[in-house]
Amino acid sequence: MPMARRLVISHDVLQVVYRLIAVGILCAGLALLSDSFLTINNIVNVLRQASLVFFMASGLTLVILTANLDLSVGANVALSACIAASVIKATGSPWLGFLVGIGTGSLVGLVNGLMVTGMRIPSFIATYGMLWVAQGITYWYMAGETIHGFPPEFRAIGSGYFLGIPIPVYLMAVFLALGSFFAKRTTYGQQIYAIGGNPVAARLSGIPGNRRLVLVFVVSGAMAGLASLIFLARLNSAEGDIGDALTLPAIAAVLIGGTSLFGGIGTMFGTFVGALLLTLILNGMNLLAVSASWQPLVTGVILIAAVWLDMKTRGESAARV
Amino acid sequence: MTDTTILDRPKKARLTWIARVPGVAVMLVVLLALFGVMSPGFGTSANLSNVLVQSAILLIIALAMTLIIMTEGIDLSMGALLTLATIIYAATLLASGSFVMALAAALALGIAFGFLNGWLIAVADIPPFVTTLGTLGVAQGLSLIVTDGQSIVGLPRSVQFAYAGTVLGIPFPVIVAVVCYFLCYWLLYQTRFGIGISALGGNREALRQAGVNDKLMLIAVYVLGGVAAAIAAPLLCARMNSAHPTAAIGMEFDAIAAVALGGTQFERGNGWLFGTVLGVITIGVLRNGLNLLAVPSSVQVACVGFLVIVALFLDGLRSKGT
Amino acid sequence: MKGDALVAPMAPITAAASAGPAAGEPVAMHADASVPLFELRGISKSFPGVKALDDVSFSIWPGEIHMLLGENGAGKSSLMKVLCGTYLADTGSFFHHGAPVQIRSPADARRFGIAVIFQEFSLVPYLSVAQNIFLGREFAGWFPGTMDRQRIRAEAHRVLQSIGSDINPDTPVHELGIAHQQIVEIAKALSQNARILVMDEPTSALSDRETEHLFEMIRRLKQDGVAIIYISHRMAEVFLLGDRITILRDGRKVASIRPTEATPDRLVEMMVGRKVDTSYQQAPRGAPGELALEVKGMSATSGIADISLEVRTGEVVGLCGLVGSGRTEVARAIFGADPITAGEVRVFGKPLSGGPETAVRNGVALIPENRKSQGLALIRSVGDNIVLAALERLFPSRIYQPGPARRVAENMIEKLRIATPSPLRPANTLSGGNQQKIVIAKWLAVGARLFIFDEPTRGIDVGAKTEIFNAIGEIIAGGAAVLMISSEQSEIVHACDRAYVMREGRIVGALDHDQLTEHNIIRLIMHHD
Repeated sequence: MPMARRLVISHDVLQVVYRLIAVGILCAGLALLSDSFLTINNIVNVLRQASLVFFMASGLTLVILTANLDLSVGANVALSACIAASVIKATGSPWLGFLVGIGTGSLVGLVNGLMVTGMRIPSFIATYGMLWVAQGITYWYMAGETIHGFPPEFRAIGSGYFLGIPIPVYLMAVFLALGSFFAKRTTYGQQIYAIGGNPVAARLSGIPGNRRLVLVFVVSGAMAGLASLIFLARLNSAEGDIGDALTLPAIAAVLIGGTSLFGGIGTMFGTFVGALLLTLILNGMNLLAVSASWQPLVTGVILIAAVWLDMKTRGESAARV
Repeated sequence: MTDTTILDRPKKARLTWIARVPGVAVMLVVLLALFGVMSPGFGTSANLSNVLVQSAILLIIALAMTLIIMTEGIDLSMGALLTLATIIYAATLLASGSFVMALAAALALGIAFGFLNGWLIAVADIPPFVTTLGTLGVAQGLSLIVTDGQSIVGLPRSVQFAYAGTVLGIPFPVIVAVVCYFLCYWLLYQTRFGIGISALGGNREALRQAGVNDKLMLIAVYVLGGVAAAIAAPLLCARMNSAHPTAAIGMEFDAIAAVALGGTQFERGNGWLFGTVLGVITIGVLRNGLNLLAVPSSVQVACVGFLVIVALFLDGLRSKGT
Repeated sequence: MKGDALVAPMAPITAAASAGPAAGEPVAMHADASVPLFELRGISKSFPGVKALDDVSFSIWPGEIHMLLGENGAGKSSLMKVLCGTYLADTGSFFHHGAPVQIRSPADARRFGIAVIFQEFSLVPYLSVAQNIFLGREFAGWFPGTMDRQRIRAEAHRVLQSIGSDINPDTPVHELGIAHQQIVEIAKALSQNARILVMDEPTSALSDRETEHLFEMIRRLKQDGVAIIYISHRMAEVFLLGDRITILRDGRKVASIRPTEATPDRLVEMMVGRKVDTSYQQAPRGAPGELALEVKGMSATSGIADISLEVRTGEVVGLCGLVGSGRTEVARAIFGADPITAGEVRVFGKPLSGGPETAVRNGVALIPENRKSQGLALIRSVGDNIVLAALERLFPSRIYQPGPARRVAENMIEKLRIATPSPLRPANTLSGGNQQKIVIAKWLAVGARLFIFDEPTRGIDVGAKTEIFNAIGEIIAGGAAVLMISSEQSEIVHACDRAYVMREGRIVGALDHDQLTEHNIIRLIMHHD
């Protein structure tokens, strides 16, 4: 029986297309409402902001694909940034800083992974605890001080431009490529989708669930570590509270982007669009002179709406988290 | 013929006597001894009563959190709600000059917010921690919007009675906390609502089959959370003599930690109210002792987190035996 | 009561059949002795593709212990679900004390005093026995909202005493063993004035002593005029306790008779004897080859003990027994999904230890009982599901390439004739039979050589069943070995070369090719040998 070669549009692609349409509508709307929206300055701003959110959200996407959560991303970024900062300062070598930053992030991820698989603590509780622990360690390490003044080549990563576009935007493309590759073009990624889709079936198909979960948390942590360095370069300083405000928007971006809280559905590109959407909304609020105080509220509402939408589209009775 | 079939699963494990003593009691005693030795100023009656007073606010929150966790739920928005309630309380007080109105405003807020949480969780069926993560953002946002980032100051001196005042020699906050405890105790063990709470977590289907409106009960539990925040608001306001948009951020973490330390499980509706009391006191002692040792507060949080992980681990060990 | 021939369910049948007052007439009734307590007439119930009940009539008298017999799928549980209001019958009528009534919901059934005894389903673990008995019906206290705890405790105590139980009403339910939890369930039903209790295999998880207690309790209930519908597969119990026996087969009632009018053999005959299903056509098979699976003395925490069996390449070996007899547990233990506490498993001579990962690597495949929740990731595509187990084999470099993966999937789709226009379609768009084929394809793709099927044709229509069996035939022809669990005895008889029979976690018999008949299977299951 010849295989039909009809074009079958996968569910994932469809979801992303819807969201891209939403982006388009939003841009059009904002352009109409405010003259400053379509300026080069603003667009660059939006892209850069979106990239910061995306850096946090990319690793998180992988974790959420397995129907787990990582509430400690923000604190992880802060911790990695501060330790990397002191290493750069002490040795003058950004490369060493990179290594240490990614290493710290991975370590945090490893502990998260072990708590979830080894001690069987639900991921939202384990990473919630880790959030406070990491934050505590960060504050203790920094002892209330800030580290600043990094070598210019390093700072360029965060605040430099290339062809008029901020470097973080290019880095975002790199993250996107790396993340997508891992998720879709490695056997690990395929297995992760399977675990998220049905962990029991995955186990009964011979997939080492625990090892993969630990891997996911470590990768997520490593990406957070990598992100911390970009933050460092951009802010040119390290303080204890860098990642604080970004955890909620990161989670929101992942969920808005179509990744399901219950696992198995979602894409890296979707998260990218989600970050873009969220940033556009917040940017729009800024342009329309809405006080910044509204942002956490709007983010919270969007988060709940995104989950609700996720539950509706998913249909089948979802697992309780 | 045997007396047991191979399908028999032993229901009661033979736990050693050590495992039977609540872990939190052991932890408390150890901490008291440790700090007593390490800081001379710790063991004074003035300091210890200080600990109790400072723990009062957390206890009120933690009691409601216990009930919520017993329904296999969680409320991450409590800290933010308490902050918001404090702000509303202070603002209303300044505007109207009446304590009663201020308290009423805080209660109205608490009930409305609790209802929102409860409705999203029970009716819209959104998982509790996601819901309350979102409403955390909402509450935080509202706090910022209402105050525009500034503290509310200039409150009348009488406000401070709620924290510094005493009735018959007993500090007011302690009285409020104790009353709340007995109220919760009565609710949990003497009313049908209390049965419902255990059943919501233990076997919601059984409750439904028995003809009880489980959704309404679940909403009520979260409303209680809101009420607890409203009751604690005047105390917190008095303690800080102001209202600030970051006042109680993170307190839900201490509350959850206290509940976990006290032995209440996150599943199956197994809760111990007095355990929460012990948990709150333990955390209070821990923070107080660390304060006296000049340990920064952020590190204190890390210690609390560590204690919780240990408690959960032990909890896991213990439940493997049952 | 102890004087009765009750020492063990293994007591010789003849002695039990002539036992004293226990297995006797229904209790003398009050007025209305001419009308049954409850009656169902002409009940039919269909589901897509299957007729669960076909014009079944059933009556129950006060104080009667009414045994309900039938194979898996005969309609027993469907009939009970109709009786207790969980299912809505398509046709038929109900009569209570002779008067026509309706049962359209569980609440209706409760009103007529019908209660089903669950196990662990309706108890709240951290509430006390008394609180569980009166869940939702607590006696009110002096203050609105409070409960009268003393009264609840006292009433619970009274109910428990009335059935001869000495359970402390203050005990938290989670501390009770299964036997006592069952008693709490009974007390709960009685406290709601149940006059008809439905018990489904109540002694399956009980020790001998607990069984004795249960029987005493049942006799007490009988004296109070409570009727009991008792589903059982233990021949001894049927004759010991039963006042009447109703046998169902293929959704129809075969007979309702007194124990005195029957012999165990006759009962087995009535339960068995389905028309021959031509969907199973067995291709002539060669002689069995090498030893693919060797299990010796295997026990597991899931409740199975001392399991020993063998499967060779080129043969289909069946594993029969009732639901709950441990067959799935055996499959899972072999596959490594559950830990083994004793014994060993060898696959193609190599000892297996470890989890599913090891089993898969050694060529073992498990097609689980519930393909939707355990065999497939329904939201993933057909192709993704097919290559799932073979990912690391196909891509040793760990770099996944959609092209080759898709080709493997298309290959399998063609080979097994899976009805889907493209491997990109989500698995949940396929029918049950085709979903099962995906699971089979998954294992073919990884080159498995020992296939363990757990209820391979459950929920699949007749046409697709043939295809599944053809697939099994091809698997055998390809040099693999098959262990097949099925609750349909005719399926086992027609598709398998030989079979093992399980009961209560152990293997109680092996039937070789000549001995493999439905009759023999049922005899071993019913404990009548």
